[in-house]
Amino acid sequence: MATGPLLAQVPPLPTTVVGSYPVPDWMERLKSDYFRGRMSRGQLADLHEMAIKAALRDQELAGIDIVSDGELRRDNDIDYFLARLPGVQIANPAKDFYFDYYEAVLPRPLPEPDGAPLKLADDFAFAAAHTAAPIKFSFTGPFSLSRHLRGRAYPDDRELILAIARTLHAEASALADRGAGLLQIDEPFLAGHPDQVATAVEAINVVAKDVDVTWALHVCYGNRYARPLWEGHYDFLFPAVLDAAVDQLVLEFARKGYEDLPVLARSGWDRDIGLGVIDVKSTEAETSGQVADRIRRALEFVPASRLVVNPDCGLRHVPGPVARAKLAAMVEGTAVVRQELDADGHQTAPFTPKRSRKETTQ
Amino acid sequence: MLIDFRPHARLRGPGQVDFTAAVTPVVTALAEAADAGYEDLGRVRVTCDWVQYKENFRDVVDVRPLLDYPATPGCADELPRPASPPAYRFEIAVDVRRSAEAALQELTAARLRDDSSGRVFLEDWGPGSQSCIWAFNTLYWTALAQWEKASGRGYEQALPGGESDARNRDAARELVTELFAIWDGLASAGALPEQLYVAELGVGNGSQAKVFLDEFRDQDAAHGQDYYRKLHYLMCDYSQHVLDLARETVARHAVHVSSVSLDATRPRTSLGFLRGRVFLLYVSNVYDNLPTDEVAQFGGQPYLVQARAYFPPAEAAELAASAAATPAELPALVHKLLRLGPDLLPDAAPGHIADTDAAVGFWRRAWSALRLAERYVPLTGLDLYRLASSLSGEMLRPMLESGGDIRMHVSNGALASFADSIDLLHPFGKLVCHDLFLTDVQGYRTAFRGPGKYDGSVVNWVNGPLLAHVGRRFGLDVHYEPFRHRNRSSIVTMTAQARD
Repeated sequence: MATGPLLAQVPPLPTTVVGSYPVPDWMERLKSDYFRGRMSRGQLADLHEMAIKAALRDQELAGIDIVSDGELRRDNDIDYFLARLPGVQIANPAKDFYFDYYEAVLPRPLPEPDGAPLKLADDFAFAAAHTAAPIKFSFTGPFSLSRHLRGRAYPDDRELILAIARTLHAEASALADRGAGLLQIDEPFLAGHPDQVATAVEAINVVAKDVDVTWALHVCYGNRYARPLWEGHYDFLFPAVLDAAVDQLVLEFARKGYEDLPVLARSGWDRDIGLGVIDVKSTEAETSGQVADRIRRALEFVPASRLVVNPDCGLRHVPGPVARAKLAAMVEGTAVVRQELDADGHQTAPFTPKRSRKETTQ
Repeated sequence: MLIDFRPHARLRGPGQVDFTAAVTPVVTALAEAADAGYEDLGRVRVTCDWVQYKENFRDVVDVRPLLDYPATPGCADELPRPASPPAYRFEIAVDVRRSAEAALQELTAARLRDDSSGRVFLEDWGPGSQSCIWAFNTLYWTALAQWEKASGRGYEQALPGGESDARNRDAARELVTELFAIWDGLASAGALPEQLYVAELGVGNGSQAKVFLDEFRDQDAAHGQDYYRKLHYLMCDYSQHVLDLARETVARHAVHVSSVSLDATRPRTSLGFLRGRVFLLYVSNVYDNLPTDEVAQFGGQPYLVQARAYFPPAEAAELAASAAATPAELPALVHKLLRLGPDLLPDAAPGHIADTDAAVGFWRRAWSALRLAERYVPLTGLDLYRLASSLSGEMLRPMLESGGDIRMHVSNGALASFADSIDLLHPFGKLVCHDLFLTDVQGYRTAFRGPGKYDGSVVNWVNGPLLAHVGRRFGLDVHYEPFRHRNRSSIVTMTAQARD
């Protein structure tokens, strides 16, 4: 696959997305029709494939350096994974809206993984076959998935989280085998459970263990229905997150403001930062000037060689035209700052992982 | 021909409606019209309602045409049209509450002959929410003091039961208890904000605010968490007059209260700084008074109901005479009234209106005489129709396709307010709303739901199933229950809060 070599060729301050891409009204209607029993699985799959190809093309046209499949197959950030986990029971597979959460129950412990039951590697392979750009592939992390599983299969939450992590590890291995070079673990519910960061990190390390890719960890304050689920500051992540075997922290800043940048600077985080420069909860497109200012502000705390530029979170809830305008502004604003970096003589080396996975998963 | 007799509950029991007397004269008139070659009886819809509002916008019999698709022959952009013609060409609407006292057959025959001559129209056709009846409604709230002076009673007396359900102390106690439980939880997690915001839309005379604040202060004294000190209560209303009254009512809590003049359909315009920070948004008897369109689905085809305000000939003549004007001069005079209000109208129309009292009298007579003509216009794609600026008409689909013909309110103003309000709520915040909610879509098939006239304002039942559907789409649990703190109240309490 072309993804691996291309990753090292993206420019400094590479632009990327967090994962999800807008779902237009008509597609929402069709996806909901599937969950109301009015559309076949085959037609839904066809719809998804066409939408993914369009999303990839949109990102390429916007000039995004590292693209994603837009997570367009997923009904939400939880169910796509939980419903495929062996042993998980979904009492009622019908939904009013495709985006609703299932009631998922785990009556017995998860079986140890035999292969990769979620088939995420197939999703990645489809995207890779339809773009020449480097791909970021994201999936929801074990901690957040565990928050939506009912049942008493395990004596405590930690055991459940680690069991999910072992399955996700199998998925990650399969993804790497199929050529994935940048994998992102999303933990959208972690901010609501600041006392659980150490457990979440322990599970993340199980997922990432010996999977030789660049790893990103995305933690935000929630983006369900374009609303935050919690409020707070990123200091809750530290120091526990320093033990995470990841190369990059992808964080939300544009909506909240950049007051947490000093937290990162003084916490000892010496790896990459995925800097949120686009507010995905606002339908007003940023200007390239705003984006450039946000990057400049971050550069006061983080060197350019460690910065990746992305939206705060997924773009699922942003109308398509607004999302395209936001991505275009992000690309233009980043280009402006890149030129300034050249003029100032800063390092312009290509973006590469800052340290190998093996160094940090000991 | 389809006869849709909606108030079928009134076909039995005391005071039952005489079905034959209500329907036969209409059908006879239709048959005679058909004999004369006017109409195809197979494509007529007769809709019988019991219009419970004594003051309303309807005549005993109205005829409403169903328009065909707009045709643009030879145009490459012409919209595809359904293969079969519309199921109905027109609808005859009968108010069976008044039909027994009317010469129903003659009235129907006259309507079928299109006897609109002599009517004085105040506007062109448009969606119901754009009708000037809403300008009258706005005028009522902005010039409430003058109206109340002329009517001799406060607006709350015009509400069903004579008072707002908002001022109930048990209800307030329950709300405060729930808030304290949430804040205790946040405090234990170190996540309690420094300012605790509560906002009320449609504050009325401040009674609800006073009851809530009194109860809050008392409970806090017992609870001991110092929440009262952190409380900031925002009283919001369209009417400055109402806000001034409300401020006097809550004078003892003044340091904790701000008053905000705002349009309830766009609360974020004034309260945007509170995005994600409001723990309780309280709305009482507001949604039923906000502009709304109506839509219908007849024979599988969706329609928008267009309306056009007018004065009937006799009422127009009487109103014109009272203002030393001709009927033809009435539209200009009315629009001046709506634009300037009764205080300035005498200066703008000195030859017609002598002073403010005369202007208020003219206003009240005009309001009483006002009627709405209606017609149905095909909707060519639900997505092209906006429920509110952020909401596509696609949201209507499950209700329109819920089986059988239906006509229902869109509650656009309520939806806009609701959608805007959601963004103001803290992740643990709650929207509580007391209003005339319809809670089952079937309710549109069995009873008239407005518009009616409450004093000088407009009232419509609120489309609860649609609000719930929109709420669910945006991740809220929306729950309805009868207002629990007063017996025999038609008011329903809606609560909405984040589901996940």
